[in-house]
Amino acid sequence: MCKDFILSICIIVCSQSLVYCQSSAGWKEEVNVYNKIYDAPITMVSGKKTSINTLAETKPLIIALVFTRCYGICTPLLLQLKESLPYKHDERKYEVLVVSFDSRDKLKDMQRLRNQLQLNANSNWKFAITDSISRLVASVGFNPVWHEKIKQFEHDALLVGVNSQGYISKKLIGLRSENDLSMMISSINNIFTPTYRLPGKSAMLSCFNYNPVTGKNTPGIGLLLIALPAILSMLVLIVINKLVHRKEEI
Amino acid sequence: MTSRLKKITSLWITTVLLLFVISIILGITMRFNQAEVIRLSPITFYTDMTVHGLTMIGIWFVAGMAAVNFIMERYVKTSKFVNILALVLTVVGVLMFWASTFIGKFHAGWTFLYPLPFKVMWSAWATPLFLYSLAVLAVGWLIWCISLIAAMLKKYSITQVFAWQYFKKGPKEETPPFILISMITLVGIVTCLITAIVLVVLLFAEYYSKGTFVNDALLMKNLTYFFGHAIANEMLYLGLAVIYEMFAEISGRPKWKTTWYVSLAWNCTLFFILTAFFHHLYMDFVQPEGLQILGQLASYLASLPAAGVTVFSIVVAVYRTKINWTLANLLFFIGVMGWVVGGLGAVIDATISNNFVLHNTLWVPAHFHTYNAMGNVLFSLGFFYWFSVNFSNSRHSEKLSALKLFLLIVGGIGFLAAFYIGGADSIPRRYSNYPAEFVHAKTLALIGGVFASIYLIGILIFFVNITRRCVKILFSQSA
Repeated sequence: MCKDFILSICIIVCSQSLVYCQSSAGWKEEVNVYNKIYDAPITMVSGKKTSINTLAETKPLIIALVFTRCYGICTPLLLQLKESLPYKHDERKYEVLVVSFDSRDKLKDMQRLRNQLQLNANSNWKFAITDSISRLVASVGFNPVWHEKIKQFEHDALLVGVNSQGYISKKLIGLRSENDLSMMISSINNIFTPTYRLPGKSAMLSCFNYNPVTGKNTPGIGLLLIALPAILSMLVLIVINKLVHRKEEI
Repeated sequence: MTSRLKKITSLWITTVLLLFVISIILGITMRFNQAEVIRLSPITFYTDMTVHGLTMIGIWFVAGMAAVNFIMERYVKTSKFVNILALVLTVVGVLMFWASTFIGKFHAGWTFLYPLPFKVMWSAWATPLFLYSLAVLAVGWLIWCISLIAAMLKKYSITQVFAWQYFKKGPKEETPPFILISMITLVGIVTCLITAIVLVVLLFAEYYSKGTFVNDALLMKNLTYFFGHAIANEMLYLGLAVIYEMFAEISGRPKWKTTWYVSLAWNCTLFFILTAFFHHLYMDFVQPEGLQILGQLASYLASLPAAGVTVFSIVVAVYRTKINWTLANLLFFIGVMGWVVGGLGAVIDATISNNFVLHNTLWVPAHFHTYNAMGNVLFSLGFFYWFSVNFSNSRHSEKLSALKLFLLIVGGIGFLAAFYIGGADSIPRRYSNYPAEFVHAKTLALIGGVFASIYLIGILIFFVNITRRCVKILFSQSA
């Protein structure tokens, strides 16, 4: 009985935290969007020195911020990106820039990472390090936290879309669908992409609920909220009328 | 008419005119910044824009309310306490709002469109203070409106206040046009103030939930424009209620009477003005198409009946008729013309096919400045002038009248023309500084600023004269 109770509490707490994380992730993706990214000087694995804006001017960038000693999300993030990108998207429209945010990473570490991912022959992927890590991560609103005990950074799996003018046009946090990546590629190429937040546990007041299966909208609670002021006004009118005339009768 | 009501009305008039002068100066500053005659930081520009927009909406709303409250006393007894309470809450609300903007640098525009208030680019405390200021204003004005509605319902039945008896043959009871229009307008205002409260509650819910509750952007935009569009239009109707009562009286003509078509027009207006706001969402691809079409239809249907009946009434009143023209009824007359021109500009923009071209261009400030600066402002100035001259017992001269009208008309037309030409040239609005691609933008901003300054000089003369007389009423032993 007691075990069930504790388990229930744990489930509720976890689900609430999940809801909080999901909703806050949505807002975290908005941080620093439409701001210019810091034009960090970078050194490519080839030894060539350049800067982020110089690269972006040639082709819009999808920047992945990783570190090579990561036990967690960095490799899955890059693997998923590698698998999702080439089949659906025209490589002329973007370049992927993998930049380390760990000052311990050297060029040879990045080179090893590129080898592990078997991207040596893919000229559309660039691997680089920078001396301006703190300014770069601050400009994209990325906050990795160092844990001394496990010698690891706690961080988001972040992709940053930068257009050819050096503006951050979109950010994606987490392992995202091909559809989301398509929207990022459109946004860095300055193509408008209609998006709309679907109702979830944290956003339940939609005017219309779109069903992607049927392709139809059905009225939502939000619509009631739009009608509510008119209904309340009529009620106010009726109540005042009643009160005023009841007072007169008394 | 009690002397207390005259004193409160004098206080309202003085407050409104003072805030009006400040707001015009902010507006001119913005135009000169766009012309690059002066240089403001973008934050200062958008702070000024926020203050200018919301203060203007607020003051001309309360100006209309104060005038309606004053005239309503001819028909029913109104609450002086609520009138003073509304004044106190308005002053407190404006001070809170100005603190959030001038000190806290809140600059999300007067429409504070979601999620801008949460994109904090100002002091963190400015967002909640701004929302609290809105709450204070909305509650104060809601109490005031409900109090006036209750006062009318004490004397008139529901059927009478809405003048529904005119739909039958040989109506026995009369409803003065002033009562009909005031009632229609106050019900509309109550609806949009309740909308404002729903909106503010939702914003607070998100603000204090720390991310666990997120609002729906489409719902918030609908609510924002339900409130914003409705209040901007309803405040014009407050001015029209005053004209229906005062124009004939000041002109030495018989009082206007309610007829079946006046009643029908204004009852239609109540419904359509509350649904016309959908035209603000034409560019929102997720808004269902049916609501977009409703927005266009309601925009036509909201403006035509009230404008048609009012213009007809005014034209009939002055055509080949001996009129005692004074500054007050001249202001009313010119104001109606300004309202009609601005209304036409609004209807052009509310037509979906035109909106593709005019959306968020200077055409938008062009039309709303027309029916405000050359419409609603003149309605209220006409009342202020009449009130101050009639109750101050002071000698007044009409010799500056022609000059004042000249400055208002020339300044107003020049200032508005710069907006209209800019809109037709697809120059966007709400730009702090124009990029070089907009070749004529800076010149038009300069022309607009110069003519707005001429308009300001006219207003300053009104301000000095009217305020002087109102202060006299305020401090007189028995006004």
